[in-house]
Amino acid sequence: MNLREKAKIFTDKGLRRRTRWTGLMLIVVAVAILEIISLVQAHYAKVGIRQEAKATAESQLDATKSGILNIINQVESAVRNNVWVAQWCLQIPDSLSNIPKLIVNNNPIVAGSTIAIVPGYYKKKPLFSPYMAITNGEIIEKTLATPEYDYPSQEWFTKPIELDRGYWSEPYIDKDGGEILMTTYSYPIKDKQGRIAAVLTADLDLQWLTAMVEAINIYPGSFSTVVSRTGKLLVSPDDSLIMNTTIDEYASSVRDSAPLRALNKAMLNKESGSMQITYEGKKNTVYYTPIEKTGWAMNIIIPEQEMFAGLRKLDGLMRILQVIGLLLIILIFRSVAKSQLRFKSLSERKEIMENELHIASEIQMSMIPKTFPPFPDRKDIDLAAALVPAKEVSGDLYDFFIRDNKLFFCIGDVSGKGVPASLMMAVTRSLFRSVSAHSDNPAEIVSSINNSMAEMNESTMFVTFLCCILDLQTGHLKYCNAGHNSPLIFTQSIDELPVEPNLPLGVMLGNEYVLQEIQMGYDNALFLYTDGVTEAENENHELFGIERLKKTLSGRKESYEHLKNVKKAVAGFVRSAPQSDDMTMLFIHYLRNPEDARIIHLTNDINQIKNLAGFLDSIAEEKKLPNSLTCSINLALEEAVTNVIEYAYAEDDGKGGGAKDKPIDVMAVVRDDELKFVITDEGKPFDPTKIADVNIDQDAGSRPVGGLGIHLYKNIMDNVIYRRLENKNILTLTKKLQ
Amino acid sequence: MKTKIIREEKSITIEFSGRLDTPAAQETAPQLFPIQDEADKTIILDCTNLTYISSSGLRIFLILRKAAEAKGGKVIVKNINDDIRSVFMMTGFLNLFEIC
Repeated sequence: MNLREKAKIFTDKGLRRRTRWTGLMLIVVAVAILEIISLVQAHYAKVGIRQEAKATAESQLDATKSGILNIINQVESAVRNNVWVAQWCLQIPDSLSNIPKLIVNNNPIVAGSTIAIVPGYYKKKPLFSPYMAITNGEIIEKTLATPEYDYPSQEWFTKPIELDRGYWSEPYIDKDGGEILMTTYSYPIKDKQGRIAAVLTADLDLQWLTAMVEAINIYPGSFSTVVSRTGKLLVSPDDSLIMNTTIDEYASSVRDSAPLRALNKAMLNKESGSMQITYEGKKNTVYYTPIEKTGWAMNIIIPEQEMFAGLRKLDGLMRILQVIGLLLIILIFRSVAKSQLRFKSLSERKEIMENELHIASEIQMSMIPKTFPPFPDRKDIDLAAALVPAKEVSGDLYDFFIRDNKLFFCIGDVSGKGVPASLMMAVTRSLFRSVSAHSDNPAEIVSSINNSMAEMNESTMFVTFLCCILDLQTGHLKYCNAGHNSPLIFTQSIDELPVEPNLPLGVMLGNEYVLQEIQMGYDNALFLYTDGVTEAENENHELFGIERLKKTLSGRKESYEHLKNVKKAVAGFVRSAPQSDDMTMLFIHYLRNPEDARIIHLTNDINQIKNLAGFLDSIAEEKKLPNSLTCSINLALEEAVTNVIEYAYAEDDGKGGGAKDKPIDVMAVVRDDELKFVITDEGKPFDPTKIADVNIDQDAGSRPVGGLGIHLYKNIMDNVIYRRLENKNILTLTKKLQ
Repeated sequence: MKTKIIREEKSITIEFSGRLDTPAAQETAPQLFPIQDEADKTIILDCTNLTYISSSGLRIFLILRKAAEAKGGKVIVKNINDDIRSVFMMTGFLNLFEIC
């Protein structure tokens, strides 16, 4: 064997040894990566499951609550619809007993009703309270004016008089009607002089409540309870506790009662939210919400064990798949290693890498919306966005979408560049989408993204981020900043929007973010950007700067033109210097033509209904609307405004002698293709879209007399949307024009 | 809004004219309520001069219709215009009343 052959064997051996080492290293790295992936996955799956459980629990709570409120509202309406009849009947005492009969007959939901006269109101009838009840389908008449019962001392009688408004009694067990759980709604009746003369009531049998609440079923082990305002259990999986035990008493019967007590306190304080409590040695997540009007509170309790049961199964499966994957990698490596003894040339490898980066960039760009104009059918918004990466992939992001007539948008800049930054950007963007699907509070969205990122973030990367929500109907802008530069706002002049600095995302777990808000005027605009724009550098190391930016953006132009101009101006400025940082811009022009909007200011005085006709006539004349259409729109508006007076302002509805100066604003947005009416009031929350529709096929005998108004405007209008914003009810009615 | 009540031996005619909107309905209701006790007679709701009706007006119609059902009388609605007819259609009132 000559020297040359020896040398060849030596190199071959060396090469094989090196290959084996590289192989081992690769396997170790692969195991580590797989482990990290499964940890990350488990974490996000847990976050996801929690978010999903929260969303499901909240929507179930919401649905059940509106089911309960629907029934509560039906009973309240049954009484309220007869208040004016009762008022009228006060003059003829003998006719009074017809009213409870009317209520019980017309409202199958009402189990019993009475009108109880204030002692001494009639000289001839010191105590008078005719009572009608339905027991087993038969009407039973009796009087409550007996010395044993002594109605003037009962809670249902004294409370509404004392409070001077409708009142729901504490639920009680009805001994006469077969030990049934009941509650009573009572309402004070005033005579023409404004003196309280009587109390009108309706009894509600609560058997449906148990059925409705027990129907909530999220996980096999989850359950719900309802408590009254004094903390008595009204619905509980343990029947023996119902009406016997308050939740505080129950808490004393279990081990480590402190968390249960905290929950009780929150529920009795009419708070809503969620809490993690441990009792009897088990972890649970509880979601709770108050039920307005009755003062009850309701919750859903989900044992942690049940919540993550699916995840544990999945985790096991993942482990098995990982082992199989690893074995495959080893096999493939062994066969590839044999053929890989010849290394690929450097240029070939570079080409592959560039190709992969190109794919990564395409995937990344496909995550952000980039069809412009994004909302071609909307005339109230002109939006354009651009992202110019400095390298193949970018660490900047923007995103936007419209939900419930609100424009959600954000911009962000990840510290660092290249592939790691782009991965972080992808994570931020998907967190934004998932969190903002459930919230319309930017501070909540930003905090939630921050917490998810800070928990995970070991690479000490961070993201500056600005999240905004613009209500397209009112121009109300809510925003929350996390370390991003302030955007420009275009009013009469171009200024920087004042933003709280706050910490960037991913820096500190639990950091509190400040919510800010402003009112955007018609024709105002916003320009969000990353510092790649203002810090673009030319060959002399000068920066593009904010003054040049403002100058470029001056003048009224369409949004995409503005962005084109900025790109051109920056390119002209830096010339041959390489682009140093990603450059991202978002231009939002809020365009509601003020000519389109007209407002009439009304108050909660029923006589002002008459002004609606004149307001509508001027619109009809200008748009040459046919008479029949004007007439039906007039009807829809009248019904909606009447509802506001009767329900949202129920306590000051004029009938009871309250103030009649509470505002009701009706704004009409007149366009060629549609008329939109926005009715705003400052009364109690009242959502007409949650009221069950009347059945128009019922015969006269069984039809309730209420609910026609809502039915009418839902039918006349093409779209009815209710929102509660800043303590106001906002009802938007839209009618399409052909 | 004007309401005229004409009582005859076997019938009661109520003539509405103008707009029966929410304020008008509240104003006129006490006058119409006692008719419930006479609902064994034929009640004629003459709408020849009625131009507009809202749900509060419909409520009065329905209360009278319920009283008639309970006492074995009937309610006839006369001469409704097209706008009111479409409101009757939306609320299912076309099937509840005898309309001529």
